[in-house]
Order: sequence, then C-alpha cells, then structure tokens
Amino acid sequence: MKRVVITGMGAVSPLGGSVQELASALDAGRHAIRMMPEWTAYKGLRSLLAAPAEMRNERAIPRQSRRSMGRMSIFAAQAAMEALLDAKCVPGNLGDGHVGCVAGSTTASAITLNNVFEQILPEHDFANVQAMEFFQCLSHTVAMNVAQYLGLRGILLSTNAACASSLQAIGTAFELIRSGRQDAVFCGGAEELHPTVTGSFDMLMAASTQYNDRPNEASRPFDAARDGLVCGEGAGILFLEERERALKRGATVYAEVLGFHTCSGGAHISESNRDGIAQCMTAALAEAQCTPADIGYVSAHATATLQGDGEEAAAIRSVLGGAVPVSSLKGNLGHTLGASGAIELIAVIGGLRRGRLYPTRNLETVAEECRGLRHVTAIEETDAKCFLKNSFAFGGINASLICKI
Amino acid sequence: MTREEIVAITNEVFEESFEIEPERLVPEASIFQELGLDSLDTVDLVVAIQKRFGVRVRDDERIRSIRTLNDVYTFIETIQNERDA
Repeated sequence: MKRVVITGMGAVSPLGGSVQELASALDAGRHAIRMMPEWTAYKGLRSLLAAPAEMRNERAIPRQSRRSMGRMSIFAAQAAMEALLDAKCVPGNLGDGHVGCVAGSTTASAITLNNVFEQILPEHDFANVQAMEFFQCLSHTVAMNVAQYLGLRGILLSTNAACASSLQAIGTAFELIRSGRQDAVFCGGAEELHPTVTGSFDMLMAASTQYNDRPNEASRPFDAARDGLVCGEGAGILFLEERERALKRGATVYAEVLGFHTCSGGAHISESNRDGIAQCMTAALAEAQCTPADIGYVSAHATATLQGDGEEAAAIRSVLGGAVPVSSLKGNLGHTLGASGAIELIAVIGGLRRGRLYPTRNLETVAEECRGLRHVTAIEETDAKCFLKNSFAFGGINASLICKI
Repeated sequence: MTREEIVAITNEVFEESFEIEPERLVPEASIFQELGLDSLDTVDLVVAIQKRFGVRVRDDERIRSIRTLNDVYTFIETIQNERDA
C-alpha cells in the first residue's frame, strides 16, 4: 500500500476566501453567523440564520469554464485553484490521467434548481430554461466542474452524501492513491445557501430557531442551550498525493492521511446513533493502525442538533475515552454541510501545524449528554500530531478520517 | 422596434451573457469563430433573445443558419416583422 499525504489546501468559507483568511478568523475567534432578513418571505421557515460566504472575483475563472458553474461550483473551483497553487503544481499541466478529482455536495446548485423550477412550473413551460442551468442542476456538478476547469483526465467521482460528502471524497481519494490507481487527487466538497436548504433542516426540527435575534449565540455544539444547526456555505478542496511523488518533487507535506472508514448506521434514516459512529471510528483506527492513545485531538462533526451531538459525544467517550481534546468548528462556521468535512479538516491542519487547538465556540454549559469529554473551550497550545475528523449525514452515513501532521 | 434598437439590445445580450467586449461586437463578426460561442451558448442565446424580445423561437429552423452577429439582428428583425404582419 502506498502512503498518502496532503500537499495542497484551498478553502472558500464563511470566514473568508482563502485558507489564510480562515485561519486568521479562527485565531481571532470570529464567527460568520448572520440573520437573513430576506428569508422572512418564506412562510413556515422558522430558522432565519445562516453563515454566508462571500463571492469574490469569480471572473478570474474563464467564462467557458464558469458558465456551467452554480455558486457552489464557483466556490469549489476557487478552492481547487488555491489548492493547486498551494501544492505548487502548474495549472494546465495535470492532464496526464494520473490526477483525479473526487468531490461532492448535498444537492446540485440549490439556487439554480430553484430558478429552473420557478421558470418551468407556473406554465409547465421549458422554453426559457438555459443550457447552462442544466449543468448546474446535475448531482455531480461540483466534481465535474472542478475537473474540467483544472483540465484533469484522471478518475472523476462524485460523493454526494449530504453532510458527509467532502469527508467521503477525501477518504475515496485516499483509497485511490493508496491502491495505486491515481498519483494525486483533488478532493473535497462544496455547498451553497438557499432558504430551501435551511428549510429542509427546519422541517426536520434540526435547524436553530430560537436565536434569530441573537445570531452571535446561535450554533452551540455540545451546549445545554443548543437548539439546532445553522447552515453555511463554501468549499474546501485538498490535494492528496502519493507520498514518494510528493517528496521527490519537494512538496510541502501538511499531513499524512493514515486511515478512513465510512459506514451505514443501520438504524434510522435521520438520527445518528452512537453504536454506528463508534463502529466507524473504531474501523478508521484499525485502518490507520492507530490505538486510541495515538489520537491527540478529535475534530467533531457536532452540528448543535439535540440528538446528534449527544450520540457523537457518547461514541467518542466509548472509543477514545474522556481525556482526548474534542471540539467542533460549527460555532464559528455554521454547518457548511457537504463542504464541512473538508473546510474543517483544512482549518484543523492549519491550527495543529501552528500548535493550537481551536475551541467549540458558544460552548458555555456542556449538556449532560455531552459530558465526560475533554471539551476545548478556548484556544489551547498543543503538541498533538495525530487526530480524527468525523462527518455524519442524514441517511445514517458515518465517516471518520485519521491524519497525522 | 427599429433595427438600431434590435442591435443595441442584442449587443447587450452578448455583453452580459457572453461577456464580450463592446468593441468586438461588429455586425460581420462570426458568433462562433470570432466571438467564441459554441453550441451550448447558442441554446442560451436563443433563451436570451426570447426573454429580451418577447418571442418564442426555440423551434425555429432558421436559427441553424445564423453565422454572424448581423444574422442575429436580421433574424430578430424578421421574427418581429412576421409577428407584426
């Protein structure tokens, strides 16, 4: 088996249009959660909070590439280009078939999907649907747009697994390189805000509704006063590479991917369960040939839902015990859904390389069901090297990745 | 609508939808070779024309013979004349 390292990272997040901006914002403890007054136009939408990302300089992407991109694909293309340049690869020089792309999102471009249906449905008329809107409505729109933009000719896969999309993408990329099928892979995920996205979670009683007038206090993973998630948007793309290839070309190695596992919870279509999560984390440890004692930090999925945080906390306690530092970045970033695994992984790697752990923002009183963990509540200095990142999704999907900086 | 108005609106479509600089929008310019549109852009050009001029032309076979910007102006002018007749 080949070894796999991360040599490039790119992020467009609610906390800025680059990895550096994300790091600076987290260092300063900033958050990006806002009240969305225009969303009051939607009847029955109780959650009016979001963590928007800023669209910047999209015209730097040539029109021929950009025309098929919805908002999420533009974020992804920008993050991918940042990762490419960060890895010191040459744009346009990756088309030898040995470099692939694996990326995902919860749905296709939510904005375009809504625009298209708003055009078609009133009169049941297709006359004014644009060709380019079709490409923004495909489920694999993020992966295909990134791959074509970068001129890749390797394996192209789309891991659309809602909130586990990007961690599944990274895990899949890891497998492709480890097995020798690809030399390198751009991988991650993207997401875009729309009232229908938040509305889906709101309908399922999973979105925050009590903090519309206090966005600063919304998104409270593991906290006793948490009341649900706040949707965010953006993209995170990493460049994974076979280790010998990376060393040979003198690339900066940010981290090594040691193990990955993803599995079905097998119990419920929406509620995560501790046994399924524990099974996933345990299998990832085995894949990584790590013991629980090797793990120096857990970057939790913890989205601030009542049910999910408690189940994850129980799973972490049972697999890793109560001494390992744990935090979730969703108090800062909101839940960037399909992008969250990649964006948070990038943030954690950046923090650990500078010897710091980021806290769970808004965690003031640990909920009873989330106790027994070593919660990080302020920025801490650390010498942790090996860490585990969790992502879970509706549909009973669990994913755990283990890396070492 | 006068031909000048048709030209102005059509050029706006090319500037906004296809990001082509106004100085390149000369009547004899080939929309494919010189202005860089492809078959997918043609679909979106038709949609833009429909929206801007209030016509339905998606199934009009004459679209296939459009080569230059001037052909676009003339096509729209013809459609308008047919509608008004």
